[in-house]
Amino acid sequence: MARNGEKSEYRFTVFKPGTPKNVKVRSIVFFIILAIIIFVQSFYWIFANKVEPYVLGMPYSMFFIVLLIIIEFIVLLLLYFLEGINERKGGDV
Amino acid sequence: MGWLIILIIMFVYLIGVLFLGSLAGRGRAKTALEYIAASRNLGFIVTYFLMGAAIFSAFAYLGGPGWAYSKGAAAFYILGYCSLGLVPWWLWGPRAHKAGVKYGYVTQAQLFADRFQSKALSVIMGIVSILAFFQYIALQMKGSAYIFEVASGGRIPFWAGALISYVVVLVYVFFGGVRGVAWTNVFQGAFMISVAWILGLYLPYHLYGGPAEMFRQINQANPHHLLVGPGTKMSFAAYSSALLVSVLGFVMWPHLFMKAYTTKSDRVLKQTILMYPTFAIFMVPVLFIGFAGVLQVTPDKLGAPDRILPWMFNHMGWSPAVIGIILAAALAAAMSTQDTISHAAGSIFQQDVVEVLSRRKHSEKEATLWIRISVVGFGIVSYLIAVFGKQTLVALLLGAYGSIVQFLPLAIFTFFWPRATKAGAISGLCVGVLYNYLIVFKVIPKLWGIHAGIQGLVINVIVFIIVSLLTKPMDKEHVQKFVTL
Repeated sequence: MARNGEKSEYRFTVFKPGTPKNVKVRSIVFFIILAIIIFVQSFYWIFANKVEPYVLGMPYSMFFIVLLIIIEFIVLLLLYFLEGINERKGGDV
Repeated sequence: MGWLIILIIMFVYLIGVLFLGSLAGRGRAKTALEYIAASRNLGFIVTYFLMGAAIFSAFAYLGGPGWAYSKGAAAFYILGYCSLGLVPWWLWGPRAHKAGVKYGYVTQAQLFADRFQSKALSVIMGIVSILAFFQYIALQMKGSAYIFEVASGGRIPFWAGALISYVVVLVYVFFGGVRGVAWTNVFQGAFMISVAWILGLYLPYHLYGGPAEMFRQINQANPHHLLVGPGTKMSFAAYSSALLVSVLGFVMWPHLFMKAYTTKSDRVLKQTILMYPTFAIFMVPVLFIGFAGVLQVTPDKLGAPDRILPWMFNHMGWSPAVIGIILAAALAAAMSTQDTISHAAGSIFQQDVVEVLSRRKHSEKEATLWIRISVVGFGIVSYLIAVFGKQTLVALLLGAYGSIVQFLPLAIFTFFWPRATKAGAISGLCVGVLYNYLIVFKVIPKLWGIHAGIQGLVINVIVFIIVSLLTKPMDKEHVQKFVTL
């Protein structure tokens, strides 16, 4: 992402200097997962634009959307707890 | 007789909220920081409902069922938008919070104006925000006026219905500040969610024997109703671009963004983001209400789709007490949005316009007074607009309403791209807003059914980057402050 030929102070900076490598990797992984969730939710009609079968009383499309919401919730929960463990270790708080 | 009982229940609710909100801020410090940001110490439950009330507006309560009734599957958009709206905030919400603590911001524009060293930016953002707020409030007023019209069987006219609940809102915002807004939202939120669930589950079971059977019958009667795409009420491009622009733009709404400054810590902020998808789950039965109406009444007979919720219970033969509670809950939805907006509008007008343009700095006491006056002034103007507004005026407000997402590049570049400059920020924002206005006023056509906000955003980012690269970089140490938070 760095722009060549520019001083490092003005580079596109996602992480503050000194961020441990595992935190960087984790952030990128979760960023990608959440981006995929946003994409699938926005383009749900590619995956589930149909009425049948009915699941939990909802048309398949609506069930699919609700399922994605639950997956999103679990992903965020996981991210929250992983960050919590890290902050306690790093004494950042 | 029935309508009197309904009105009495609604007034009991109004009086309860009035006291709760007005007394919430009692005994607190009399500073602008307290009035706007609750001295930065709100906890999780309060922040959760404070943010949730923005979703559970009159739009969700009357409009959500209305969409499900008239547009079918297009209403699923509301679920996607509720669940994802706060997710982008994980990236910069905690940073905005830290910046607020470190450098003393209480509004969104203060952060960006400081980063880009520009008073003009602050004033432009302040004006766009307040115009957008007028539109937002007008929508809620239409909702609450309609609720009173239904409750009284047409005895309370539009101007009075819009006025009654809004006066209550203004009084508790005036006295209670953000704490008044927050505590009433906890009550209003819990109240309307409970009522929505009971209604949303009762109607499908009572009328059809269950949601699955209800959807089966809808699908039989109209196979297109539960789908999106060609032949339905919403095209693929419209659905996806509307959802994307809502997700990207949601936290850029100044009244939401500035809640980064009210929370106790960035952990509380993350807890709120994490729990936010639950509001989308709460919306599911709300949509059921609208779907339940599809086979009950034809659109011609109903008039406007927003009328589906009142139509449903008017034809169920329920007692006035039950109807009173449902209508009070609907009123709660409208009011819990009006209060946040009015509070934010007053705060923004004072902090980002008056304070920036005035020659001397106001004392804390003067500032708080100014905000309170601004809240009331904003209230009066938005009421007049809602009741007497003409078509061109509405277009002006709609343009601002659609322009909020154009603040997004400011947030991203503030926290991640030190090379971004003042000239880039102002020109990007102006081009984005202007483009949106040109579409609203139909000077240029809307391309391929894609949401105007997305199109404006692309141009905005391009202009922002090019102009930034062409202008002199800003002071190294200054810009580094914002990327190393």
